[in-house]
Amino acid sequence: MQTFLSLRVGAIVALAATLAPPPTAAAQASTRSVPETYAITNATIVPGTGATIAQGTVVVRNGLIAAVGANVKAPADARIVDGTGLTVYPGLIDAFGSLGIPAAAPANGGRGAASFVSAPQLQPSADHPVGITPEVLAVDLIKVGDAEFNGPRSAGITTALSAPTVGFLSGRAALIDLSDESVDDAVLESPAAMAMSYGRGGRGGGIGRGGYPGSLLGVFAAFRQEMLDAQRYGQWKAMYDRNPRGTPRPPMDAGLEALQPVVNGQMPVIFEANSAREIARSLGLAKEFKLKAIIAGGAEADQVAADLKAANVPVILSLNFPQRSAAASSPDSEPELLSVLEARVNAPKVAGKLARAGVRFAFESGGLTNWADFLGNAGKSVAAGLSASDALRAMTLAPAEIFGVSQQTGSLEVGKIANLTVTRGALFEPGSKVVTVFVDGAEIVPQAPANGRGRGGMGR
Amino acid sequence: MRRILRMAAVAAAATATVSVAARAQYGVVNPPAGPQGAYAITHAHVFPVSGPEIPNGTVVIGGGKITAVGADVSIPAGATVIDATGLSVYPGMMDGASTLGVSEIGLGVPQTVDDQEVGNFNPNAQAYYGFNPQSAIIAITRVVGVTQVVSRPVGGVVSGQATVVELVGSTTPRMSLVKDVAMVITLPGTGGGRRGGFGRGGGDNAAQQKQQLDSLEALIANARAYATAQAAYAADKTLPRPDDDVVLASMVATVEGKEPVMFNADGEADIRKAVAFAESEHLKPVIVGGRDAWMMTDYLKQHAVPVVLTSVRELPGNDDQPYDVNFSAPGKLAAAGVQFAISSGEETPDMRDLPYVAGEAAGFGLSKDDALKSVTLWPAQIYGVADRVGSIEVGKLANLVVTTGDLLEPRTDTKYLFIDGRPVPLTTKHTELYDAFKDRK
Amino acid sequence: MTHSTLNATGHRAARNSALLLLFAGTFAGAQKPLPAASTTLIRNATILTVTKGTLQNADLLMEHGKIARIGTHLSAPAGATIVDGTGKYVMPGIIDPHSHSMIDAVNEGTLSVTSMVNIEDVLNPTAPAIYRELAGGVTTINVLHGSANTIGGQTITVKLKWGEPVDSMIFPGALPGIKFALGENVTRKDNPPPAGQERRYPFTRMGQEEVLRDAFTRAQNYRAEWAAYHAAVAKGAKDLVPPRRDLALDPLVQVLEGKRIVNVHSYRADEILMMVNLARDFGFHVLIQHGLEAYKIASEIAAAGDGVSTFVDSWGYKIEAEDAIPYNVAILMRHGVVVTINSDDDGRARRLNVDAAKEMRYGGLTEDEALRTITYNGAVQLGVQNRVGSLEVGKDADVAIWDADPLSVYAKVDQTYIDGEKFFDRQQDLARRDSLVALKAQLEKAPENQPPAQGRGRIVPPTTGGSK
Repeated sequence: MQTFLSLRVGAIVALAATLAPPPTAAAQASTRSVPETYAITNATIVPGTGATIAQGTVVVRNGLIAAVGANVKAPADARIVDGTGLTVYPGLIDAFGSLGIPAAAPANGGRGAASFVSAPQLQPSADHPVGITPEVLAVDLIKVGDAEFNGPRSAGITTALSAPTVGFLSGRAALIDLSDESVDDAVLESPAAMAMSYGRGGRGGGIGRGGYPGSLLGVFAAFRQEMLDAQRYGQWKAMYDRNPRGTPRPPMDAGLEALQPVVNGQMPVIFEANSAREIARSLGLAKEFKLKAIIAGGAEADQVAADLKAANVPVILSLNFPQRSAAASSPDSEPELLSVLEARVNAPKVAGKLARAGVRFAFESGGLTNWADFLGNAGKSVAAGLSASDALRAMTLAPAEIFGVSQQTGSLEVGKIANLTVTRGALFEPGSKVVTVFVDGAEIVPQAPANGRGRGGMGR
Repeated sequence: MRRILRMAAVAAAATATVSVAARAQYGVVNPPAGPQGAYAITHAHVFPVSGPEIPNGTVVIGGGKITAVGADVSIPAGATVIDATGLSVYPGMMDGASTLGVSEIGLGVPQTVDDQEVGNFNPNAQAYYGFNPQSAIIAITRVVGVTQVVSRPVGGVVSGQATVVELVGSTTPRMSLVKDVAMVITLPGTGGGRRGGFGRGGGDNAAQQKQQLDSLEALIANARAYATAQAAYAADKTLPRPDDDVVLASMVATVEGKEPVMFNADGEADIRKAVAFAESEHLKPVIVGGRDAWMMTDYLKQHAVPVVLTSVRELPGNDDQPYDVNFSAPGKLAAAGVQFAISSGEETPDMRDLPYVAGEAAGFGLSKDDALKSVTLWPAQIYGVADRVGSIEVGKLANLVVTTGDLLEPRTDTKYLFIDGRPVPLTTKHTELYDAFKDRK
Repeated sequence: MTHSTLNATGHRAARNSALLLLFAGTFAGAQKPLPAASTTLIRNATILTVTKGTLQNADLLMEHGKIARIGTHLSAPAGATIVDGTGKYVMPGIIDPHSHSMIDAVNEGTLSVTSMVNIEDVLNPTAPAIYRELAGGVTTINVLHGSANTIGGQTITVKLKWGEPVDSMIFPGALPGIKFALGENVTRKDNPPPAGQERRYPFTRMGQEEVLRDAFTRAQNYRAEWAAYHAAVAKGAKDLVPPRRDLALDPLVQVLEGKRIVNVHSYRADEILMMVNLARDFGFHVLIQHGLEAYKIASEIAAAGDGVSTFVDSWGYKIEAEDAIPYNVAILMRHGVVVTINSDDDGRARRLNVDAAKEMRYGGLTEDEALRTITYNGAVQLGVQNRVGSLEVGKDADVAIWDADPLSVYAKVDQTYIDGEKFFDRQQDLARRDSLVALKAQLEKAPENQPPAQGRGRIVPPTTGGSK
């Protein structure tokens, strides 16, 4: 069994060359001129568009895909990766989460978006609702790093959408590549979307902390008022621009400013919604304010597929399928409800149903802690009726399209970002393994658990 | 000479005392009953409960007791005759699990709530001593025909001892039917019985529960030893005199199996735990709550455990259960031959719904006869007072209600009420307020 | 909100499909929704019209969602489903004017005035309470915000169309409502504020009057501000910055304009009278909810033309309920007040028929008067009496068939129809129970319902934080 070191391959060479206590791999990489042209040869290539190439070569240069094909020759300056017995896919995309954003610190300071976490005793006020921070940017919060990203990379994920977590209208998500570069270098798109969570999971603004809103009722009202205020702000600014003399000037408001692309229908809002009614409510809000909506979670999306299709709203389906706990299985425990049993059986079927209903969808990890379940559960969806090509699309081109970056990524085509997922075995077959990934054109070999035996990376 | 009096006259005789009636705290009106005397209720549809209905019968009361009942009964000279043509006579009803008198206004007035002591082990806390005979709820409950109730402490592992009172009398001793009728216990980690065992008995985590269970077993063992020592000394004064101990003394009747134990338990596992515990400790169990009892009738019959149901009106405990699961439970217990009674399960001020709870069960499989028994004779049997109340039989206390129709029907009105053979006025705080405001312009 | 197309065809197919979950929140205790019945003739029953007397051995025809005919020896149209009503009682669907069923949240309790929130946003069409209330003969409910605020959230009237998407459950054309509350629940004497915060105003009944007066004064100002803006725009003003839309004041303006029903949770006579008078000052009516002491000021309430929805006999559970009497309904009715009884509780909502019968012993109401308090009067209070609340030709076919006189404690519901469609059928409920148990047993064995296998190899080291 192979095990791998979690080091950028190039850095191994560099480390060996120094005698002084080694600086970090990232610093190494930035100070050393490591050749970054690769050719993966003799591999099966699934480009994501067009036919599978039974045996071919992918060339990566300067972070982009330089060539892909059956008859492509490896350039002389390339580092050769022997792809015999391996399959190359476009890098997989985890289309919603909060990777890289530290969990909200309890009550003890912190800057930016975390600050109102530290001020829980806000006197409730409808004019200052707690939990609405559309101005917050995920890029300002994300910390790149090995510990965070190794898990998803081990599942073949090269790119993730990361959204701020505090509050319910928590801010603007960023699409980042899971490299070890600085976040500025890793960003594909920011802001990519506005995040709206309804305050679940203890992240809901004033809910439980004494501020307004203190309930789901208030979350809706506060959201609506914010949208109305943003619309008015936009109109006011436009009037002021036309007529600065004679019009009172609009007060500055970073949040309303951040919402302008949202109320103009340009920036999508990701609504976290799982039950059929949560999804329906989200579609309602989107219609009310002419928002471009995306649903994240989507556990019961199949039940409202027709509405989703009619509204042309895509779904980011969670692969964190419900699982029965060991405790719930003991003979002493209460019998579970039919609805719970049915939900577990239905989970793998949802994607296939959406595909057949013509609803656009992508996949998200949904808070999985066992990263093997990302591909494992996708595989269950395939077994339950989703085609393997639709499953792959949901992890590659579909999210790229949803976030408007399909020119740059989502498939193995010349000129696109060199994000690659390399496996032994077809991606959704049981027993297949992610062998390595390329992120922004650099190979990063995912690490195995401590009891694994290490071996060097693939690039030699 | 017989005096034939109309309803108004009887009522007037009683209400003559109302204007000087006990007007106690917060406008309470529990008018005292009239004196015991000889009464004959004639031409009535009599429901003895212990025997077949008598479509046109007579009930004779004297000295506080029922002295005759039947279709053709002679009326003693000097008896006040109540012509009950078109009316029905029933035994007074009994609620087998309440906090009447020990809990008055649950929300926001804790000063009026005396049903739960501090600490987990209070066998010597007796509802008898917490009982407020001036409770406003007494008169309001009795006018629908409830004449005796079991009032019990709640909370902790050993809550204390329940008492049986009749709903008339100005002091607790005068109301008392049985001073300490049962010990109330909620085993750690179990719960149920609505007004009983608020949430889980005792502590929440497994370690705490184990500790409490050990304490309970020790308490029982100590009480047994105490009983033995006291009995030995009583028989032989040459033995060293054992100290008296109020806590252990309060457990003696229970551990000797003379006083049953009301175990608060709703879930199947909790009921089994309670029964198993009772058997291993040689206690006499009564399950109070009993929501899942219908699922385990064989077990209950095998172990001969009676159930006081407080859950008939509860919503189904889990969403997969049929909508009528709790309404239909009494019918299933009856069909299986499990001994049970129906308690209202309502908050104390709404205890007067007792007959309707039984009636609702009769809509879902319990026979009307059994529904009536479940709130009259059967609770009396469970609590060992069936020799005195629960049916219209010669020699029992004259606790009777005379109604315009079926006792369990909500439209039925009460015309006369007797407790201990005394006529009870039907005036309550509610009728007084009605009179005061109904014609206000 | 988009009306789900799933409802029209797919949903019917889904309903007829056996043993597969096809709509949200299936629970085994509520059987699958039943096939639509567009024409149904109930024969030979006792028909309790409530408003037009009781007919014996009579028929009722439901067609196109309406009550088409009531009479004797009606002929059945082609394709009609015939229901044998022999020994049965047919009455209008019960209307419950105070319900907190089918919602995911009940109170926005943080502020004194939360009129911007709307219970419609949190309706849950899959709540088991809906089905259980249909089984109790209820067809329409007034879904209310809780009683935590002097001025609480917006409310809505709903038909209990179990299995339908929530949009089609909203009572068509019914006025929306709003919830106010007075008394102990608002002053919260026993609940200290969260650490570090001041108490929410008001702490006394004095403050409650002030909150109302202030809010409606602000609403009047707001209305005037918008009127001035519209007038200026009509006169040709360009690039005029509009006033801010304030979602808390919009519904209060609607109250002032008589377009929104005001439900006021209140107990004590003095606070009820305060509300009645304040409402009259501002020119609107109120529906007193609970109003347990309303009998003490029945004349004033009648003179104001306001309604009362109360408990038939609950009392004594808190101080402000100490003087509640079961004769409240009778006194109010005799003074000319439109009065109903309600449940305020999912459990009680199932037995409003039993509650109504109590009015006959407490105050001597007739059968029809008692039935009115759970049907027609509620329709009047909710402004939908032209559509529901009695069995009259042309009204919505919201009908329940009982196996005995509904005013008897022994009665239970056989079938419940809304708009002529059957949404509850006890026989079908009974018939399906075994198959649901079997389905559950079958699903228990599905691989997805087994716990994870022990010792499965994991590829990742433990991580901290990270994903949601």
